[in-house]
Amino acid sequence: MRPLWFAWRSLTRQPARAVLGIVGIAAVGALLFDMLLLSRGLVLSFGDLLESVGFDVRITATEALPSSGPPIESVSQVVRTVEALPEIDAAVPIAFGRAAVPGVMSLDLIGSGPTERNVWKVLDGEALPSQEEEGAAPALVVNRNVAELLELAPGDELTLMAIGSEATALPKVVFVVVGVADFYFDTPDARTAAVLLPAYWRAYGETRRDEADMLLLRSSADTGPESAVATIREVYPDLNVFSNEQFLARFQRTEFSYFRQISFALSTVTLFFAFLLVTTLLTVSVNQRFAEIASLRALGFARRRIVADLLWESALMVGTGGLIALPVGGLLASRLDAILKAMPGLPERLHFFVMEPRSALLYVALLTGTGILAALYPVYLAARLPIAATLRKETVS
Amino acid sequence: MIVEARGLGKVFPMAAGPVTALQDASLKVHEGDSIAIQGPSGCGKSTLLHILGCVETPTTGSLLFDGHDVATLGDFQRSRIRLTKIGFVFQRFFLLPMLTAWENVELPQSEAGASKSERRDRTAELLEYVGLGERAGHLPSQLSGGEMQRVAIARALANRPGLVLADEPTGELDEATGEQVADLLDRVNADGTAMVVVTHNPLLAARATRQLEMKSGRLFESGGAS
Amino acid sequence: MRGSKTVLLATAIAIACAGVAHAAGDAPEILVSRQLLEARDLSVGDVVSLSSSRTGESPRPFRIAGVYEPTPDPMRLTHKHWSVRLHLPDMLELTADPDDPLALESVSRINVALADPDEASEFARDLYARVPGLLATPAAAEDATAFVVLERFHFAIAIVTVLGSTAFLLALMVMRADERRETVGILRLVGLTRTRILLTVLVEGLCVAVAGAVFGVLFSIAMEDVFNAFFQWHYDTALVFVHVTPGIAGRCVALAVPLGVLAGLVASWTLLRRDIVALLRR
Repeated sequence: MRPLWFAWRSLTRQPARAVLGIVGIAAVGALLFDMLLLSRGLVLSFGDLLESVGFDVRITATEALPSSGPPIESVSQVVRTVEALPEIDAAVPIAFGRAAVPGVMSLDLIGSGPTERNVWKVLDGEALPSQEEEGAAPALVVNRNVAELLELAPGDELTLMAIGSEATALPKVVFVVVGVADFYFDTPDARTAAVLLPAYWRAYGETRRDEADMLLLRSSADTGPESAVATIREVYPDLNVFSNEQFLARFQRTEFSYFRQISFALSTVTLFFAFLLVTTLLTVSVNQRFAEIASLRALGFARRRIVADLLWESALMVGTGGLIALPVGGLLASRLDAILKAMPGLPERLHFFVMEPRSALLYVALLTGTGILAALYPVYLAARLPIAATLRKETVS
Repeated sequence: MIVEARGLGKVFPMAAGPVTALQDASLKVHEGDSIAIQGPSGCGKSTLLHILGCVETPTTGSLLFDGHDVATLGDFQRSRIRLTKIGFVFQRFFLLPMLTAWENVELPQSEAGASKSERRDRTAELLEYVGLGERAGHLPSQLSGGEMQRVAIARALANRPGLVLADEPTGELDEATGEQVADLLDRVNADGTAMVVVTHNPLLAARATRQLEMKSGRLFESGGAS
Repeated sequence: MRGSKTVLLATAIAIACAGVAHAAGDAPEILVSRQLLEARDLSVGDVVSLSSSRTGESPRPFRIAGVYEPTPDPMRLTHKHWSVRLHLPDMLELTADPDDPLALESVSRINVALADPDEASEFARDLYARVPGLLATPAAAEDATAFVVLERFHFAIAIVTVLGSTAFLLALMVMRADERRETVGILRLVGLTRTRILLTVLVEGLCVAVAGAVFGVLFSIAMEDVFNAFFQWHYDTALVFVHVTPGIAGRCVALAVPLGVLAGLVASWTLLRRDIVALLRR
């Protein structure tokens, strides 16, 4: 008749109360779990997204996000210099612009240097060639939305006109679709196409010659991204060089900070609520059982035994509710994720709620701590109960 | 000798002024004794019983249990005395409502560290002893007042105490049932367990071999000086 | 010049504000954001240099005529609000591409305030029809989606919170009902009907629920200032994050009061449907 058994019997003698307490814990536990997932979800998801592209260092002209700041000028020279560094395996310049299918729609246009891996994955057809054929129509890769809307397949032609802020009209360029791809940073309704950089510059009427918005770099396996960043910064102190990790840290501080804040605020509120729930239920339960506790003490139950019984009662309630909260939280997280992913401008592959073992461990630790803290006051009441006075009072009443 | 109380006094500090519940009470309880303490309500009988049972600490005086001064013992040691050497029977039974009769009797044995087989044998024996062998699986809510008190007596005997303290054991019972319980307590005493019963029922008190009276916190031999 | 009109002048300002004094007399006037003023320890009347080049080439002097609080933009919450306001001709002169003959005649956007804002979509369509190539967008349409998403998110969280609270509330009510088991048994024994007792519970529950709901609303109004103060300090913005409107307060009370009353009734009914003997038996 160990404390756990005793706690179980004490809880189940009032099944309605126990069930309601457990349901309450499950509800707040689910919310707590989700907030812990949210606190690092965006960073983890974004990190996975960056890693999936296959490049671990990036260069932009300034701290502004790519395509919202000034371009990197003389990018070909920069690429040659950087690729020559022992810390770098590959460097790919990327430019972001807009183009129109005249009279039909507009889309995002990406200009890229030649590379096997890029910010897209070809699903149908081929990747962009390493260089354009002389005299032939330049190659174009489109995303699924564009392919479906315009009923395009590899081999079809598509005329694009770049959209710029220049007053002069830009030339129409005929491209040949070589592939349909999944662009990693596309929003669900994005319309995206990619061409080789020389074709991109031609589409812009050579007004953006030898410019790019970003350089994607792959560091050498021997040295790693941090060493590559340090070396490039020495060579190009005016450029903004950062590893994926540094990029994520910045996002965590700035763009993602709202969700971190709300996660922290809601986690605190749910923990407080769980604390309040358990401490209230246990305290009322102890208050109603003063006579029993006093009689147990009179029978010879030591204080520590009474304390152990109550702590186990708290553990059972919080533990059961906490366990139920996990699948409930998982379902809730997928629902909340779906709601938040509707935010405009977010890549479809980005998730707000990402499961990681650290979140689960933190959840267990927080809930355990809360259960123990919540039991402190009722334990204090029970342990300090004056036996004789209580027996006398119960007898008289 | 099981218990020796010397000059026990108990003062309760109250908002309206201190209340002296017990004054200079001395008592010796030997093995097999049968003692009844009578007195009107509020005279201090239960307070004396609680001090004898190591549930309450006296303001003055000393209590020796098995030769040890209880004042020098910590809470855990006093709990062990109550668990293994004393049995309590209360007016309101105080059975645990979520446990069956069997479990209520088994509980103190488990706490004292008895093995499962020892507990099983002893619990069955005790329930038979009090005539409730067939009601072992019933909850207190399914038992009558007299039956609950008999289970409480069985529980009090669980760890073979040398002393049973009963506080108004028939207070909540009708006359006939009270007689049954009183008979059972006599049997317990006859089997060698010392008994101290606090009661305002003179018929119950008359069953004891030694009768004491309590007046205004002072203990007297019945009909004589303290 | 792509991006030049929206280039981060802060970099240029950082370079240009390196203590170079210019003749204040002819310098055009600008307004700077409060955040920039504080960050760079500037004052009204100071003369600063601005350049549209990332490296600070060809800076021009401007005199700080005043400070403004940037319009809080939730979509740019985490951005540093380092910005300046120039007269349009000064801006065009500063950022114009000397090789572009139309640079001084080009702007990136024209904001239009309509006499009747409800006509925004119609106006945009009409404008596009008259000037093809001109992209006209009603302003409201641009920003609404993010807030709709956040509202849905907060609403989903609120539902879960309400569920948890309801379980808590029911547990408390069940315990409270159980405490009064004997009292209820005696009242039934005396002759009061179930309905009569339920009505008493209803009135009591209503009073407690209303008091609790009102307290909750007052507490949230008090916390509103705390949350706003914290987040406004943290993000250095004038944006209001929490705003308890009469509508929100009304919705909370409309939800809390019936829930409280219902919880009390449900808990009491579980007691009242038992027979009197069971209620009185210990």
